[in-house]
Amino acid sequence: MSSEIDFKALWNQEGSKDIPDLQQLLKRAANLRRTARIRVILQSVVLSVVIALMLYVGFTYNHIQLTTVIGLVLMLAALVSYLVTSGQLLPMLFKSNIDGSSQEYLTQLIRIKRKHEFLDKVMINVYFGLLASGLFLFMLQSAIILGTVKAVAYYTVIFICLTACYIYSKTQEVKKAIKSLTDTIKKLEAVDEQMREN
Amino acid sequence: MVFDEIYKAYWNKVFRICMGYVNNHDWAKDIAQDTFINIWQQLPKFRQESAIGTWIFRIASNNCLRQIERQNRMPRTEMPEQLAEAIEPNREPQVQFLYKCIAELPETDRLIISLELEDIKQAEIAQIMGLTESNIRVRIHRIKEKLTKKFENYEQ
Repeated sequence: MSSEIDFKALWNQEGSKDIPDLQQLLKRAANLRRTARIRVILQSVVLSVVIALMLYVGFTYNHIQLTTVIGLVLMLAALVSYLVTSGQLLPMLFKSNIDGSSQEYLTQLIRIKRKHEFLDKVMINVYFGLLASGLFLFMLQSAIILGTVKAVAYYTVIFICLTACYIYSKTQEVKKAIKSLTDTIKKLEAVDEQMREN
Repeated sequence: MVFDEIYKAYWNKVFRICMGYVNNHDWAKDIAQDTFINIWQQLPKFRQESAIGTWIFRIASNNCLRQIERQNRMPRTEMPEQLAEAIEPNREPQVQFLYKCIAELPETDRLIISLELEDIKQAEIAQIMGLTESNIRVRIHRIKEKLTKKFENYEQ
């Protein structure tokens, strides 16, 4: 039993009797590709529409002030950072090379996961920071015209909504997802360590 | 080599490597399927810098390593393992024990011994794993020793 040949003989007894139908597999592959393509197209369309809308508002604003322009730019930056944070752009930004050696692949995975962790932990604060300051500056021009009471009410409502969203983003569910990511990185690093052992 | 030929020639080999990694039929089948989807997607870019087999096993090994992420998303108790093992009662006890022992090894050792048992040359295993050939040789020797001990205890 202990000889090499026996191990190989035992090993070769295993096999999947029901090999999945090739056409089904190709269909699944084509679906995956189509879904990924549709997602990218949809993201680009949504992003373009929002940017166009923001630019339209900026250009059609009478006597646009510098604060409004800066507000628009900050909100735009928040939007882009949101897309990156939500992970939808990650596969495109940090493509991994599945046919490299296992050591290269592990290094890539760790790098990607670390970036992902950074985006999840840090970028969410950056997003809300940019959005809040962008909104504040963007609304300033119209708030001045509204008068003190209306302007305070205007700002209060908007910032209560933003605070609620911020608190939601820090819920247990999100914390759990971040913990899972941190655990994955630790496990990947442990496997990477195995690779380096002699 | 066209894709359907690759699929027929390599399905069981890839499946066994995945099975050595996770010791679960359904899960191994999923990984093997993902591997062939990757092969189908990457095949037009394959530049024959290495043998087709080496390239395929590299993709299979990397897909196995990707399971670390899946394991963390879904704790082991939630995996359909018990269920899957119950559906496969026809496996020889010794075969089951071998795959169980392999799946208990550290991740890289699982891949190395699976590739070795799949009769892949040590130089190719070194290329697949990104390690030196001498390192692979030493590791294979150690893993076989471990497996032998486990089998000796199992038979007693």
